[in-house]
Amino acid sequence: MIRHLFTLIWNRKKSNFLMMTEIFFSFIVLFGVLSMAFYYINNYQKPLGYQYDKVWVMNLRWNQEKPQEVKDIQRRLQQQLKSNAEVEGVTLTSTNVPFTMQQMSGGFFYNNRMTQSDFFQVDKDFASVMQLKITEGRWFNDQEQNSPYNNVVITKALRDALFKDEPVIGKIVAGNSGDNKNPKTRIIGVIEAYKQKGEYAENKPGFLEYRYLENIADSMNVPFNTLLIRVKPGVTSGFEEKLMQQASRIAQGWTLEIKTMPEMRTSYNKVALMPLIIFSIVCGFLILNVALGLFGVLWYNINRRISEIGLRRAIGAASGQVYNQFVGEVLVLATFSILLGILVAGQFPLLQVLGVQTSVYLAAMGISVGIIYLLAIGCAAYPSRQAAKIQPATALHEE
Amino acid sequence: MDHGQSTKAMLKNYIKIAWKVLLRRKFFTFISLFGISFTLMILMVTTAMLDHATGSHPPETRLDRTIFIYFNKMTGVKKGSLMNSTPSYYYLHRYVMPLKTPEKIAISSNFKGVNSYVNNKRLSLDLKYTDTNFWEILEFNFLEGKPFNQQDIKNANKVAVISRHTRDQYFGSGVPAVGKTIIADGVSYRVNGVVEDVPISRLNSYAQVWVPVSTANINKADTGLFGEYMAIILAKSPADIPKIQAEYQHVVKQIKVPDPENFDTFRSYAEGILEGMFVRQLFGDRYGDNSGMAKFIAVVTLIVLLFMLMPTINLVNINVSRILERSSEIGVRKAFGASSRTLIGQFLVENIFLTLIGGLLGLLLSALVLQLISNSGIIPYAQLTLNWRVFGIGLGLSLLFGLLSGVIPAYKMSKLQAVEALKGGQL
Repeated sequence: MIRHLFTLIWNRKKSNFLMMTEIFFSFIVLFGVLSMAFYYINNYQKPLGYQYDKVWVMNLRWNQEKPQEVKDIQRRLQQQLKSNAEVEGVTLTSTNVPFTMQQMSGGFFYNNRMTQSDFFQVDKDFASVMQLKITEGRWFNDQEQNSPYNNVVITKALRDALFKDEPVIGKIVAGNSGDNKNPKTRIIGVIEAYKQKGEYAENKPGFLEYRYLENIADSMNVPFNTLLIRVKPGVTSGFEEKLMQQASRIAQGWTLEIKTMPEMRTSYNKVALMPLIIFSIVCGFLILNVALGLFGVLWYNINRRISEIGLRRAIGAASGQVYNQFVGEVLVLATFSILLGILVAGQFPLLQVLGVQTSVYLAAMGISVGIIYLLAIGCAAYPSRQAAKIQPATALHEE
Repeated sequence: MDHGQSTKAMLKNYIKIAWKVLLRRKFFTFISLFGISFTLMILMVTTAMLDHATGSHPPETRLDRTIFIYFNKMTGVKKGSLMNSTPSYYYLHRYVMPLKTPEKIAISSNFKGVNSYVNNKRLSLDLKYTDTNFWEILEFNFLEGKPFNQQDIKNANKVAVISRHTRDQYFGSGVPAVGKTIIADGVSYRVNGVVEDVPISRLNSYAQVWVPVSTANINKADTGLFGEYMAIILAKSPADIPKIQAEYQHVVKQIKVPDPENFDTFRSYAEGILEGMFVRQLFGDRYGDNSGMAKFIAVVTLIVLLFMLMPTINLVNINVSRILERSSEIGVRKAFGASSRTLIGQFLVENIFLTLIGGLLGLLLSALVLQLISNSGIIPYAQLTLNWRVFGIGLGLSLLFGLLSGVIPAYKMSKLQAVEALKGGQL
């Protein structure tokens, strides 16, 4: 049966070649879009690591004040805002807060191992304001001010990437200095995750560095540019203006901008999902186009072979066999195209082109194969049924 | 005269036949039209987006003779160091303003987000610091009032030009605002003029509040090359642009790298929006002068070709089937003495007819989708427009492939003996 199908296909190689090319390209396009979709889904399932819903973000831009003056104003700002009854907590941090394009990253070293890692400078109130989940060790407290080390809390992703099963709490490593001879970074805790770029971003390695305003050794530097404010439940946006007035009285002449994290998240995710939506629409159109084309061509091909069908029926083939033959032909065609497609698509996980997990590619490939077969059967079913219905007498009469 | 008459009649006849054929095979017709019109539509929408971001639209109306300085770049090959950021006001004032070849040079800041409050509700506004040349190089559409002048810059007057959206939100829809006071970023500005909204994709001109550059807190003592400003340069004519670029490169080459330990070269370019803002950032050399425009064009062409490939194969496939299906008709016509030329002529007309209908549908679809995108507010204040040149190219390509795939099989068929064609002959 299969050999017979091959012969039939080979006899009509010219028109089949065009169909195969179409199916091949459809497979590749589907694979591309589905890989992207699975990548997003895969990321979405990993924990975000923080609670954004009651957090407001205030950006601070100062003028020509000296670092020490800036820090002084920042401290007074933090105290003043915290004194409001509506406010649960206030924390100072570097500019790369969640749902912004800002990014700080560098290598994190441990012995001869290194992984690219995001880093964030935070103070001791950060964990309670962002409601981080600590899975090992502890969070920063005032003890760290007397520590000779750069104290960090790392994410589980960083722990998995560099330390595997080794205990990490209290470990002193080279960290981002990369200086293995004189390691200065001390790990004091591990958090579940901290996906700064939102739900759809990869759960990348990251670490939080402890900073405090009173640090005399750091007098030339201002580590913080942003205030995060956690408000109590039920506080509305009407409170914003009051906050701003308080803040601008203390930070005179500074540019202050306040936004809520949920609204930052909405606009950030809109941008993050836009490519997927556009590609899906374009892909959907291309596949629909191909499906219609295949349907038309198959219909026409089967109509042309009425005499062949008549002959087969006359010598005793059941109508079911005719149906199976036509659907079988299309499936063999689809299989050839898919094998070719897998050969091309398989290069992505094999060569690790984009650093995406292999499981994402495999899932995308599996679903693409399924959709292409469904498409092929769907396009072949109706014309094949028409063909199977043909009475031998009518078919032979046509000739 | 007589000949012309008969050709005309024949053409009319062919179109009639074509119409009948299209109606007879409704499904095939639908597939062909769907393929042509949707492919054209996606092509048109994509180019409309690109044109929207980089083409000439108010207020950036003279892009053929306008160039921009967006980025300063310092690199050090030895340490692999790189610093790429917008220029400082000091840099632009010291090195760009003295250029002799341009007609006018404007300095403006990157826009920054500021807060304003109306009835306890926050109004997030984007604010830009500009000089007076900014208003002369760019042609804003003033709804009321006028831009601020040299005197305002000199005295650092707290005056502002605001957008229609800002006026409607702050003072009420359509309420005249000139002379009134708006508080943004905790500073009171007197409104000097109101302009039509500018979409955010036009980063050179976009803002919602524009105020004099002298009111910004610029540290006069700071001589750093990097900051938050950009320059817009208007040339006397498009032909002058290479002269300006050469003069600018001459100036840039003489600038000493401020941190020779880490960096060895300083670079900066005056160029168009697409090249300076997008292409150089994505495809440009890390240590060289090449902007990567050639690479960019190659990549875009490849993507467009890949995208066009599938509908094209589909079109060819359908066309070949359509012609084969009509072999018996060709046979009959041959048997009654029609020449190959007449037959090919007929199929040519049929194909062109079909493609033109597809093109028309594509045009309608594109207009509809562009209207939908413009109204949806995905890109605030954007008005996307059809690009006729791209439409022409798209239509031309579908004609070409339609003809190749429709006429070649028809030609082969017309060469067959009438008897074979009647039997549905093999090609």
